[in-house]
Amino acid sequence: MIEVSNLQKEFLNGQESTQVLKGVNLNIEEGEFIAIMGPSGSGKSTLLQLLGGLDVPTKGEIEIDHTPIHAMKEKERTVFRRKNMGFVFQNYQLLPNLTVEENIAFPLHADGKLTKENIEWIHELTRSVGLEGLNDKRVNLLSGGQQQRVAIARALANHPTVLLADEPTGNLDRARAEEILVLLSTFHRKNKQTIVMVTHDIFAAGFADRIILFKDGIIDQVISREDSDYAKYLANFMA
Amino acid sequence: MLSIWRISWRNMTQNKKRLFFTLLAMVLGTAFVTSMLIADKTTDDVFDYYEQMYVANADYWVLSDDYTFPEDLISPILNEPIVSNSLLALDKQAFFELADDRSLSQRAVRITGVSDQSSPLLTLPVIEGKLDNEGLIVPEPVAELLGKGVGDTIQFTGMGEAKISAIVEYTQLLASPSNWERAESTSFRVLAPLSLLREWTGKQDKISYMRFQVEGDGTELFNTFQQNFQGTSTYIEPVVADDLQSNDIGGLYTFFYLIAGLSIFISGFIVFNMIYTSVIERKKEFAIMKSLGYTQSSVSKLVLIEMTLLAFIGTAIGVPLGIWLGDLFMKALLGVFEFDMVYTMNWEMPSLIGVLIGLLFPIVFSLFPIYYAGKTSILLTMKMADRTTSTSKRHYVKAFFGVVLLLLGTIDHPVSYAAIIAGAILLFPYLLKGLSALMKPVFVTFYKYPGTLASRNVTRQLNRNGNTAAILAIGIAVILLLSAVVESAPRGIDNDIRSTYGGNMRVKSEAPWLAEDMEKILSYSGVTNVEPLAEATPITWETIEGQMRQFSVLAVRENGPSLYTHGQEKDIMNRLRQNPSVLLGERAFAEWGGTIGESIVLNTPNGKKSFEVIGVGKTSHYAGYVAFMDALVMNDVFGWANSFDLLLSVDKEPYDTIRDQLWTDFSSHLSKVETVEDEIQSTTSAISGMNELLFVMLVLVVGLASIGTANTLLMNTLERVSELGTMRALGFTKRQVRNMILAEGLLIGLTGILGGLATGILLIYLTSKSQLMDGFLSFQLPYSDMLLAIVAGVFLSLVAAWISSKSASKMDIQTLLKEG
Repeated sequence: MIEVSNLQKEFLNGQESTQVLKGVNLNIEEGEFIAIMGPSGSGKSTLLQLLGGLDVPTKGEIEIDHTPIHAMKEKERTVFRRKNMGFVFQNYQLLPNLTVEENIAFPLHADGKLTKENIEWIHELTRSVGLEGLNDKRVNLLSGGQQQRVAIARALANHPTVLLADEPTGNLDRARAEEILVLLSTFHRKNKQTIVMVTHDIFAAGFADRIILFKDGIIDQVISREDSDYAKYLANFMA
Repeated sequence: MLSIWRISWRNMTQNKKRLFFTLLAMVLGTAFVTSMLIADKTTDDVFDYYEQMYVANADYWVLSDDYTFPEDLISPILNEPIVSNSLLALDKQAFFELADDRSLSQRAVRITGVSDQSSPLLTLPVIEGKLDNEGLIVPEPVAELLGKGVGDTIQFTGMGEAKISAIVEYTQLLASPSNWERAESTSFRVLAPLSLLREWTGKQDKISYMRFQVEGDGTELFNTFQQNFQGTSTYIEPVVADDLQSNDIGGLYTFFYLIAGLSIFISGFIVFNMIYTSVIERKKEFAIMKSLGYTQSSVSKLVLIEMTLLAFIGTAIGVPLGIWLGDLFMKALLGVFEFDMVYTMNWEMPSLIGVLIGLLFPIVFSLFPIYYAGKTSILLTMKMADRTTSTSKRHYVKAFFGVVLLLLGTIDHPVSYAAIIAGAILLFPYLLKGLSALMKPVFVTFYKYPGTLASRNVTRQLNRNGNTAAILAIGIAVILLLSAVVESAPRGIDNDIRSTYGGNMRVKSEAPWLAEDMEKILSYSGVTNVEPLAEATPITWETIEGQMRQFSVLAVRENGPSLYTHGQEKDIMNRLRQNPSVLLGERAFAEWGGTIGESIVLNTPNGKKSFEVIGVGKTSHYAGYVAFMDALVMNDVFGWANSFDLLLSVDKEPYDTIRDQLWTDFSSHLSKVETVEDEIQSTTSAISGMNELLFVMLVLVVGLASIGTANTLLMNTLERVSELGTMRALGFTKRQVRNMILAEGLLIGLTGILGGLATGILLIYLTSKSQLMDGFLSFQLPYSDMLLAIVAGVFLSLVAAWISSKSASKMDIQTLLKEG
């Protein structure tokens, strides 16, 4: 599904260069829920941006469904993103001027494909994230939890191959965060939705099938739900 | 240690593009005003220079209402010890003897014989040759037209011939036509030695006037001779340099000052927009500063310092640019004259005023944001999003006031124009809202979903975007009004001239017209009426403030031709006959500075006399810089007896036959034949160049307003970089983002253009109906300017939007998301 090999990313700041990713190799299977953790500056968000085609690697390859997105031109990446990717951001990144429904439908608008079926799908998504009745409400009038639900629905509007979530619960209290995680988990289980989530929160990571720990631009450790010491690892981490 | 200036500089340069556009607007605003001030002062100097050249060092002159008078009459003056210099002159109409086939009117030349060509009372800028008191002095255009140089001979029909001894630059004394077409209605002028002219004409002891210079105060001498000359045909007048009778350049500058004011207003608005947005953006920063102990005034001071810095930079660039523009403007303006005018730029004082305006206007326009920054509430800012919200109540109040002001604009008063503009500004946000809804289907068709988003986005910062459109609209509206005035002006002038010219032709002679002359002319085919016209000139007088001025006094008669219009003409004629009184032309009245009922003191041929000003008449004679007096009063009290002019009414054109006949029959003393068409053409020819100038001004004003659009769109774009990042992340292509911003710019531009056209049409309509304009402007739309406004407005709005869209689409998604 997602194949990452020898992924490197270097940022130039004047004369100085910083290597944020130093050769990352990673395989993600279809329908998997991955949590990426690590300290600040370890490269986890950069990896997410590269996976989403928001940026291009300095070196290495990324294939999504056998499509090499690292070699794509800007416009091709945009169109690929529009058709195959869903994004959830920490600060929701909703368009304040649009209503709940319009925000959710935005990726389909961008594609110019707002068919009758799609409209029905948007209504269904609105219902499924628990925002029924709020369709015509401006998003800036919603609570943080509700806004993140809109963001999740929007990320799913285009039936994405992969849903990429960058700290989706970072701005929420524990109760709201749990609601969001449950929601993501539900979509993952019900629709076999592939999710890659960057998080600082081990509680959030606990919803994932695999936890990938980043350190200094490389993968330091991978813990899978199937691993025998998974529960122990989580407990230790939380402690 | 913290340097508040350094911090201010850092704050300013944080957003370089915004800084650039704001500075550009400030620079252009300052430059326009400086250039107008320079052009105004330099033009004043130019006309003053030529006027001074004309009067030279003379203090007084002696003239006659008999055209010429015996030289003996001035001997007592010449014997006065304080008279240091004198110049005797004799004017004589003649004809060039030419090999080409030219009509008499084209060959007409006035020869002025002077007693000393190198007198200090004459200023003759020699180009070639020398002032040797032996030959002719010819102005350059005449020499070029005749194809003659120094040493060549010029022959005068029936008089004699002389060699050219010098060719000189333009002076008022030798003002001549520069082409044969103009020569049809205007005589050439050359200077000859007095002795030679006397020899040719046989007028051995005659002169037309004598100018003289005195050492010290000549008032007593003037008073004595004014007394002595009473009852004679000779009179004495002080020499006054007053060019108001020969030009009305002040009216032209009113136009340009209006445009300069408009530029400052637009620039000021751009500055306001920029600093207000900056203050809104930095409310959190101000709140933090205040929480750390900064006072309201110290926060305001920080913003004030930023504006001061910006004003300094804008002025430092704007004023030199204005000096350069002023020079260009002078070249363009003086280029319309027939002769090469020399000018020295008067830039010192205008530049100083430009510096003051350049420094002050940005600060004046940013006073509210400066105050607002200081008033930042710590708690509210920390708690709430830094976005201003407008309540619907405020919207209703604004719309209500907008409508009221527009309605007030229908009252016939000069202030109404300001009311209409203020009303339009208040209503523009709603026009933008309405238009964006109306245009949505069109935008969706062209731009798809980005079009939908654009029509919504423009209503987000409704006031800012509305004001931006309003500024463009006001620029367009004012220029359209000016264009309509300029386009209507020839027709208005045509009407004015025809209604007050007093006939169709004016014939000037060197000798008083006799009854048999008039009878003869009346017998010409097509001539229906002949009326004598007495014109006393130059007549000096004092303004209320004590400045010496001079104009002509024209005699009017009850059943004579109408030379002016006035609401109560009959009553005015009766009153003019009763007491020694005058009716002043509009410009003369304005220059005089008194009120109706007060008296004006004139230096008449009969001495100093007071005349009651009984009214102000509208007249085309000398563009209103003239006085009218009853013919009898003029004869008895004023002391002017002769009529050297005739006004002819002609019932069929062309006038050429009559003109030729006049030159043939009265060639011995005829000096000028002018038709009403000649007068109309010479008056309107200066205006025809104005329209092109207004075209340029229109593009400049729209361009300046578009800088405002670019600035606003840039601010709108920068405020939502995070949104743009999200859009891009969700699959919006760069092109879609660009299209969205282009559509926003186009919507603002279209609102400005349509609103500007509507406001302009309203202004033109109300002006055409205004009693104040007295029917001068007809309701006629300047279609070419309207078309230009649409094309320039759309094009420049798209350019403005393109700049912002380019910036937005250039930023990478991570930066956009991060900056949010």
